[in-house]
Amino acid sequence: MTEVSVQGEKRNRNAAAEFTRPLLLSPSEDLAGYVMGHLGLTILFLITTTSVAAVFLIFYFVIRESLPFFTTGGGAAILARVREFFTDPGWYPSATEPRYGALALIVGSLYVTAGALVVAVPVGLLAGVFLSDIAPFNLRQICKPVIEILAAIPSVAYGFFAVMVLAPWLQTHLGFSSGTNALNASLILAVMALPTIISVSEDAMTAVGREIREASYGLGATRAETIINVVIPAGHSGILAAVILGMMRAIGETMVVWMASGNASRIPSPWWDLSQSIRTMTATIAGDMGETPKDSEHYYALFTVGLTLLLFTFSLNLLSEYLLGKARAGRGRR
Amino acid sequence: MKTLLRQIQDKGFTTASAGAVLLIAAALLVVLIPMFGRGITAVIFTETVEFRRLQKDLHGRGDNEHLARALADAAAVREPIYTMLREFSEGIDTEPLVKQARDVYQKYGEYLNYHNTPKEQYSDYRKQAKDVRDGLVDALESDDRQTVLDDLDAVLKEKDNPAFADSPAMEFFAMAQRYKKIAETVDLSHRAEYLTNLQEVTAAIRQLLGPLPGEPTPPLWMDQYGATRLDMALKARAALLYDEQWISDGPGKPMVKHIIARKEQFAGTPLEPLFDRVEADWDKLLQPRLRIYWQYFFDDWVNSHYFGGVGPEILGTLLLTLMSMCVAIPLGVISAAYLVEYAGDTVWIKIIRMCINTLAGVPSIVYGLFGLAFFVVTIGAIGKPCILAASLTLSILVLPVIIRASEEAIRAVPQTYREASLALGAGKFRTLVLVTLPAAGPGILTGIILSLSRAAGETAPILFTGVVAMGPIPNFGSPSQWLENPGSLFGWLFQPTRALSYGSYDIAVGDRISMLAPHQQFGMAMTLILLTVALNVAAILIRSRLSRKLRGC
Repeated sequence: MTEVSVQGEKRNRNAAAEFTRPLLLSPSEDLAGYVMGHLGLTILFLITTTSVAAVFLIFYFVIRESLPFFTTGGGAAILARVREFFTDPGWYPSATEPRYGALALIVGSLYVTAGALVVAVPVGLLAGVFLSDIAPFNLRQICKPVIEILAAIPSVAYGFFAVMVLAPWLQTHLGFSSGTNALNASLILAVMALPTIISVSEDAMTAVGREIREASYGLGATRAETIINVVIPAGHSGILAAVILGMMRAIGETMVVWMASGNASRIPSPWWDLSQSIRTMTATIAGDMGETPKDSEHYYALFTVGLTLLLFTFSLNLLSEYLLGKARAGRGRR
Repeated sequence: MKTLLRQIQDKGFTTASAGAVLLIAAALLVVLIPMFGRGITAVIFTETVEFRRLQKDLHGRGDNEHLARALADAAAVREPIYTMLREFSEGIDTEPLVKQARDVYQKYGEYLNYHNTPKEQYSDYRKQAKDVRDGLVDALESDDRQTVLDDLDAVLKEKDNPAFADSPAMEFFAMAQRYKKIAETVDLSHRAEYLTNLQEVTAAIRQLLGPLPGEPTPPLWMDQYGATRLDMALKARAALLYDEQWISDGPGKPMVKHIIARKEQFAGTPLEPLFDRVEADWDKLLQPRLRIYWQYFFDDWVNSHYFGGVGPEILGTLLLTLMSMCVAIPLGVISAAYLVEYAGDTVWIKIIRMCINTLAGVPSIVYGLFGLAFFVVTIGAIGKPCILAASLTLSILVLPVIIRASEEAIRAVPQTYREASLALGAGKFRTLVLVTLPAAGPGILTGIILSLSRAAGETAPILFTGVVAMGPIPNFGSPSQWLENPGSLFGWLFQPTRALSYGSYDIAVGDRISMLAPHQQFGMAMTLILLTVALNVAAILIRSRLSRKLRGC
């Protein structure tokens, strides 16, 4: 009891000291405060620039490790190397005369991404519409966690599912010779791209605003007509950004395509036959890097594939930024 | 009419979009149900007495007396099966018997020498023994029943010959006796067929009950035990009781699967009752019972995941994620606070925001390349793939996630909180630390939990920077070592580790032995999903409580 009161007394005395402190600071205290404040701000700013540093380091190191792939042969060889990389469909790094043509890999990446988007964009946009315009509040509260959990499942677990469950199913029920093929990879990538597409497009459509919808209803339009003719056109840049972000998710995905696509580096022909094995850029890096000695031509070639991928996603990212910025600006105008 | 069409369009659109959401929910179930349904069998399953023996031998778990009694019970019913198998195989696989007959003959010669038999008697006896031996070998090598029986009768006639009384040669007659019994019941012309089938049966019994008595102990743990789980035991039993053959009905016709009961294959032979016996004594043979093998989450593997659990993988994943969080949380939260509270709308800030978005869009495999080129190759202090390099790579990967979530959380703190604090005389920094950040705490925590689950699930960034499929558990040293050399406290940072995410990849695609044990494969993937989904559910719960609180006030 006494201890508590002693402590209380002490606190009171401290508080009293606070109150008796002069309100004006001395010049030296003022200066110290000013310097400390700016020093603190600078430190905070420096910490914040870590992300900038990270981006620059990523670009610097990926470019540094991929440049020797082009420059080892000297001036004239550079063009030949560039041409080989982008137009040769043969990726045979361990042949006696190695070929580093990434065309089949680039096509493979785009192929599964397109396959994924064909499924994910309609389903994702419809689900986005459902969440933004159709579902009542309570239902939305249930649907959101479902989509979040879909996004939370790690990519390697999806890959595991593709190899262990989906591939045998495809083999026995659809009669494919191999269950690990472009169809398998595309389906799983579609599921993985869905959460991104849904949440971004739902945001875009919610942001269109209530007034514009009510105006449309007021003119006698049905809900479907309102959504198709008013909401989607008004939120189109956000929706496009959603598609691009979903595309980025699919093209940058590694584990699923590595496990489920069959890893045969050739351009699929005929192009519509999804039961063929393909190989993507990401799977090539993941699969080859483990057994590649450092500073070999193959090592540099893999970094060049990584650089291609990085530039690809970087430009897609800029595009989505631009579109989202446009969407935000449009909202501001209204 | 037009109204009707418009109504149909409206209803159709609503149905389609509700259908899309249902499709997504269905996709989630299609993914999760098999993963959990089959993964849980790694933890909860019907064990056999072999599993209890394994646990006892490996970890000393279980009650000695109980186990001994169970093993004795099992041995009692296994013994007749082993006897039947042995006796039958003696008649079918005659090569060892021929060798034995020759051995007996040699021993008889030694016996005669030992007893100092007179010279003329010696050669006579030896000749007689040689005749007996040759008769027996002929019988053993012949496929025709009548020849065999005649040969054996000729051999057995010599049984009362005084030359062989009380000598090792009596073994000839015991062998002949046993072989005659088989020759009378078994169609010896199908001996080759019996032989292959017998080998399959023996293999199945080995799968079911472990190595046969008298066989040397196999070097691998997985071969030293029979079926440890009921599902594997049932598979072995099916192989024991039924033969699967692919037979074409004629040239050019496709192969058709035929299932033939082994009982029919061995009809009329002394092996026939074995199959009924296995079925009748099934419960006693293996003594199945339910087991909750919670130690799965702590045990190390045995024989590349054929037995054991995922303990080191869980430990590795925790080490990697916690280490990466140690770096990413301070950086991320401070960046977010700065961006919300201090940053103006300058060019620099725009660049920073763009970089954060870029960082969020970099493919995870490129993080792996960067981690390899920067942390592993360029930073000399690290120099090789290890926990430190992998977790630093992961920390950059989750940085944008934490920044965005924290930014949102800090922005959601009502302006009135800050104003109240400022009005009480607190400075801007004090307001941030004492008022804004605590108020944003649950939101920031949600972001941290989400990025934790992201880091735990990522595989590509740690592929080249510090993860292995079959490495040792990181060595943390001991307190005495730490006292001696404080540097060794951090030694584990410079070792590679196993992780759940890479383990799930390897166990599905790379590891051939664990392909024999699908429950182990699904168990690993289930553990990973369980970990990440549990973290996400926790985040969702925190957020919903938070939003209720916000709506409340």
